[in-house]
Amino acid sequence: MTNKMEVKKLNLWYGKVQALYDVDMPVKQHKVTSIIGPSGCGKSTLIRCLNRMNDIIPLCRIEGSVYLDAKDIYGKNMDVVDVRKKVGMVFQKPNPFPKSVYENIAYGSRVAGISNKKKLDEIVESSLKEAFLWDEVSERLNESAMGLSGGQQQRLCIARALAIKPEVILMDEPCSALDPIATAKIEDLIYKLKQKYTVIIVTHNMQQAARVSDNAAYMYLGKLIEFGETKQIFENPKEELTENYITGRFG
Amino acid sequence: MPLLPESIKQKFSISGTKVKFTEKLIAILLLISALVAIGVIFSIILFLLNESIPAFIEIGITEFLLGTVWKPEGIIYGFKPLFGALPLIFGTLICTFGAMLIAIPLSIGSAIFIAELAPVWLKAIAKPAIELLAGIPSIVYGFFGLVVLIPWIQNTFNITSAEGWLSGSIILAIMAIPTITSVAEDSITSVPQHFKEGSLALGATKWQTISKVVIPSSLSGITAAIILGIGRAIGETMAVIMVTGNAANIPILTDPFSPVKTLTGAIAIEMGEAPHGSIWQHSLFGLAFILLIITLVVNLIAYYVLKKLREKHLASSSKIDKKKNLILSLKILQKIKRHLNIIILCISILLILWIFGILVAGFLGLIIVGFYLIRKKITAKNSQRIAFILITTCVLIVVAFLVIILQDIIANGIGALSLDFITQSPRSLGRSGGIFPAIVGTFYLAGGAILIALPIGVFSAIYLTEYTREGKLTKIIRMGADLLNGTPSIVFGLFGLAVFLYILGLPRCMLAGQITLAFMILPTIIRTTEEALKAVPQSLREGSYALGATRWQTIRRVVLPPSTPGIMTGSILGLGRAAGETAPILFIAVIFSSRFLPNSVFQPVSALPYHLYILATTVPNSKTNQYGTALVLLIVVLLLYLTAILIRNRYRKKVRW
Repeated sequence: MTNKMEVKKLNLWYGKVQALYDVDMPVKQHKVTSIIGPSGCGKSTLIRCLNRMNDIIPLCRIEGSVYLDAKDIYGKNMDVVDVRKKVGMVFQKPNPFPKSVYENIAYGSRVAGISNKKKLDEIVESSLKEAFLWDEVSERLNESAMGLSGGQQQRLCIARALAIKPEVILMDEPCSALDPIATAKIEDLIYKLKQKYTVIIVTHNMQQAARVSDNAAYMYLGKLIEFGETKQIFENPKEELTENYITGRFG
Repeated sequence: MPLLPESIKQKFSISGTKVKFTEKLIAILLLISALVAIGVIFSIILFLLNESIPAFIEIGITEFLLGTVWKPEGIIYGFKPLFGALPLIFGTLICTFGAMLIAIPLSIGSAIFIAELAPVWLKAIAKPAIELLAGIPSIVYGFFGLVVLIPWIQNTFNITSAEGWLSGSIILAIMAIPTITSVAEDSITSVPQHFKEGSLALGATKWQTISKVVIPSSLSGITAAIILGIGRAIGETMAVIMVTGNAANIPILTDPFSPVKTLTGAIAIEMGEAPHGSIWQHSLFGLAFILLIITLVVNLIAYYVLKKLREKHLASSSKIDKKKNLILSLKILQKIKRHLNIIILCISILLILWIFGILVAGFLGLIIVGFYLIRKKITAKNSQRIAFILITTCVLIVVAFLVIILQDIIANGIGALSLDFITQSPRSLGRSGGIFPAIVGTFYLAGGAILIALPIGVFSAIYLTEYTREGKLTKIIRMGADLLNGTPSIVFGLFGLAVFLYILGLPRCMLAGQITLAFMILPTIIRTTEEALKAVPQSLREGSYALGATRWQTIRRVVLPPSTPGIMTGSILGLGRAAGETAPILFIAVIFSSRFLPNSVFQPVSALPYHLYILATTVPNSKTNQYGTALVLLIVVLLLYLTAILIRNRYRKKVRW
């Protein structure tokens, strides 16, 4: 099994505060990797390093490497825009643009220079179908995306990420703002997505991590404590810190 | 949990009837303040109309609005006077249009730069600096135009007189840039971070994110900024009359140096010449009325555009159903929309052709067409590079403008500054001696204005936010305040003239000036106080009510203390504005080169901006003292603004609800 991505000795500072300490983590291709841990442990910070989303935060400084297909995305000749085209991202709160459903999906293609209407129509339809949203919104493609329900908005954001044909999809607590039914739909979707994509998901919800992921990483206070197959992490953790968290003794 | 100190709890336990009485009294007091605020608004319109109706009747509305010759001085010199306001209306419009052509791209570019491209440290400096510059009194810009810009244009291009609509446009543009930039930057900065992240995560470049997500999302704020700028340009008086030449001709578009007279210019210059009670004077009130209508129309358009833009962002399926009936007209509209760019392009090229001749227009047209053709071939990265270069150019031009103005005034004014200059009375018509009476007079005027406006403004705002539900009354007051805010300052001057001098029969005096300035800054104070009060969280009020406090007790002890810095900021901004304004007090309160301070409020005073105006326009060989006065005025006003900005920023950092 090849590593699609690999994090090597990653350190990160917000101003003077260090948020990540020497993180090493492999990401297997066509698998779902989950990152778990208590609030403030650096899960979101870590996942945002994987498509250089932290670049836009002022005073944020990064040392170390993140490899995508064995190329360092923080390397000198790497273009951040290219990285983000290959590594898509879905955020904690659904963040559709204040545009129509159609324009939301077409956005990534348009900025990549595709303006052929037929081609865009195809991309929009296929992406929405891939995110299992097509049946619900095919009649209202020209309405504002702000009018969709929270769960639909989040699937729209996933469809939007799929439309640019990424290789890796990052999901930063994608279900934290959703109700159980919408959450179930997204989990279903994640399960299907891994056939074609490599998925990394940050989650607060341990049952969710256990249900959807193949590999899991446990983080605590900016350090990666343990990484392994999800089954092993949940049933037979090697580290005491992990065990305390998993069993709820964490306090 | 909101916590209330024990002492407050004890203070509430006064006897019930007394409390009830105070409550009622205060409610009535607040209502009266709010009514005064509305009264001011409507009386301005009423008095203007009252004074202009004789002109409308005698001249005839069509002749007044569409007549092409403005020659009112005939009533003095014995020839047939002509009252056609069209040249003046065109004068105002062309200066404003020219100013916006220059100011809009530069301001938006600078706003984008500050909000999105500048590093953190630069943003921290640039933002307050721009706000500070927005406070420079317009007379200072006019002065700069008169003594620096116009001689420079005349020497460089070898022209006999550069006083014309182009100079007016340039000065108005420089004046409007800080205002537009500041408001536009606020709205760009307030675009939620998650929109930007969403776009960047899809592989958009920074420029694509700015142009496709950030700008569309902040369009309503940017529009508001532009409208504000247009309003300032239309209503500006002092800066304009110093550089436009003031000849009431229909402006010649092809000659940028053809002199024009604006509506405000005609009022300011001719009010002193027109005999009291003559048709000439009534016609000047008529001009003010036209000016008021123009600003009103601009504001209404702005209101409508902003409403439409806001609706566009809010999803509502019912509205879309309604639109289905209009699908045909929509399609046509869309077609027009798609070609709007090209239409605007053609029009502007034609305009340039008309003004600058075939060579320049053809050259520009070629560049644009060429750019349009290769547009698709430019990579995202290169278009980002081009955009950023353009934006940086905008910023550099703006910075250059402002540095040149400030440097010129400081470098030339510093020589005049001395202890004598600020403590002595002027001698030989201000050529020598100091400006002590003018400094004190300015403080008298501005201080008096704030003493009158502060209680009325704060009480009205309290009434609006705490005592009424949102309804018709609040809507009327708020609309009135906005209207008043956009009203040109010279209109206030005419209002003061009509009410205090003509109707109440007061002499030209300080009191009239103070009340007039108070009316002018009233809307600023109402609005900032309202915002400060609204920022106090509801839970604090509930906490106080739950302890048995009455409404007024809650407001006085819980709501007002944390909103004091906000109210102070508003008052200081008002103070700064009152200190820098010339037009409203021109006819009613000031005298030039007074050697003494007034003994009572019924005597006229000297004031810095007016002193500068008269020195610069009518007293030859007074250059040193002109610069000295300009510098002192600049320092006084900017210090006031700086204080306001510092208080606000400190408060903003400290309080996090």
